[in-house]
Amino acid sequence: MTLPRTYRTAGLTLRKTPVGEADLVSAIFAREHGKLELRARGARRLTSKLMGHFEPLTLLRLSVARGRTLDIVAEAEVVTAFPEVKADYATTARGLYVAELVDGFSALSAPNPELFDLAVQTLHAIGNNPTAELPLRYFDLQLLARSGFLPELYHCVECGEELEPERHRFAVGVGGTLCLDCGPPDVVVRSLSLPALKVLRLLHRTESAGRLPALNIPAAVRDEVHGTLTAALQYWLDRQVRSQAFLDAAKLP
Amino acid sequence: MVSEYNPGTARSLGRLIEELHRLPGIGPKSAQRIADYIVQIPAEEAQSLSDAIMAAKDGLLFCDQCRNLTDASPCDICANPQRNREQICVVEERRDLVALERTRAYRGRYHVLHGVLSPLNGVGPEDIHLPQLFERLQDSDNPLQELIVATNPTLEGDATADFINRRLAGTGLRITRLARGLPVGGSLEFADETTLSRALAGRSALD
Repeated sequence: MTLPRTYRTAGLTLRKTPVGEADLVSAIFAREHGKLELRARGARRLTSKLMGHFEPLTLLRLSVARGRTLDIVAEAEVVTAFPEVKADYATTARGLYVAELVDGFSALSAPNPELFDLAVQTLHAIGNNPTAELPLRYFDLQLLARSGFLPELYHCVECGEELEPERHRFAVGVGGTLCLDCGPPDVVVRSLSLPALKVLRLLHRTESAGRLPALNIPAAVRDEVHGTLTAALQYWLDRQVRSQAFLDAAKLP
Repeated sequence: MVSEYNPGTARSLGRLIEELHRLPGIGPKSAQRIADYIVQIPAEEAQSLSDAIMAAKDGLLFCDQCRNLTDASPCDICANPQRNREQICVVEERRDLVALERTRAYRGRYHVLHGVLSPLNGVGPEDIHLPQLFERLQDSDNPLQELIVATNPTLEGDATADFINRRLAGTGLRITRLARGLPVGGSLEFADETTLSRALAGRSALD
């Protein structure tokens, strides 16, 4: 059966690359199609009807024609450009952190509607509360979960025993939390306190970023959760998260 | 002798094609066409092209003040006493300076960043000429009244403008951003919501 020559989809722009005199290639995370690299012909011309549509962090409705190498954007309509996220340098850095990780954890033409919904929810959450840290940590953990890399948080990954309410250790290389009795060789292990483990479990169990409770988490626990999640993200990404330096520079988590 | 990547092509010609292919916007076929042209022109013209490349590479330097590429520092614009010393316009690239000069509507001086803050590409303030801008503004002899931030109206251009604005908050300097809205000859129907909302916000009275 041959594929239809055109298709419609909703997608979130992740990045763009200028190509040729006035074209763009835009990486778009589409709900039903996964990550797509689409060519927008003439989109850099001031008078183009596509001008301004492909800035990163824009939710679009698209009509796309199949091409031989890259599919071609036939029509684009902005659903939202997340203006609150782009209001200043700090929130823009947060939005681009989401875009970088979605880009890094998604594969071309591999649909992941749950990850798409998570990314859009997180951008709305950043817009609604530009300084809150918890929505970003929720995004980190759920990104791992919805990409198939959720670390084990309830049982020791070595002996399989249910974790006792005490201090634990975390080793992303073996899949998550370890009890104090287990210590597999040649694995980088980091300490994980009970409060930090409880926050991670809360992030795992909460249905959406909008349902996160207002918690007053001590700075040390917040740093521990952040450090644990960053270690897991960088392990699976196999590189540093580039936009993290900008979040740090903006004095935001 | 044949080139490894261009079968049936002499090694020296293949090397020229590969070097041209490295240039931005030059695909493999364009590289072949340009290389074929170069080998057909007289030797003096080829030498002139080669000399121009090396002269630009060896002779150019950054202007101490505006960081534009110049043959001598300060550049013609910074050294010109007729230019308004109370205004500095910050642009991303040298090409943007040229575009603004073509308008003949701006008579102040410039600062060329040679890039833009880009979290996705790991480009931070130290990777572009932002520290030199802040250093320049600290000069006590500076009569500067207005800093016009003319970075592109893109996500990264706006983030760079906001970074500059934050950094200079409280200095008393007037910091402005180029207006934005609908392009001449454009169509309101096809404008994206950000452009249209900013065009509405920046509407002006009909004289």
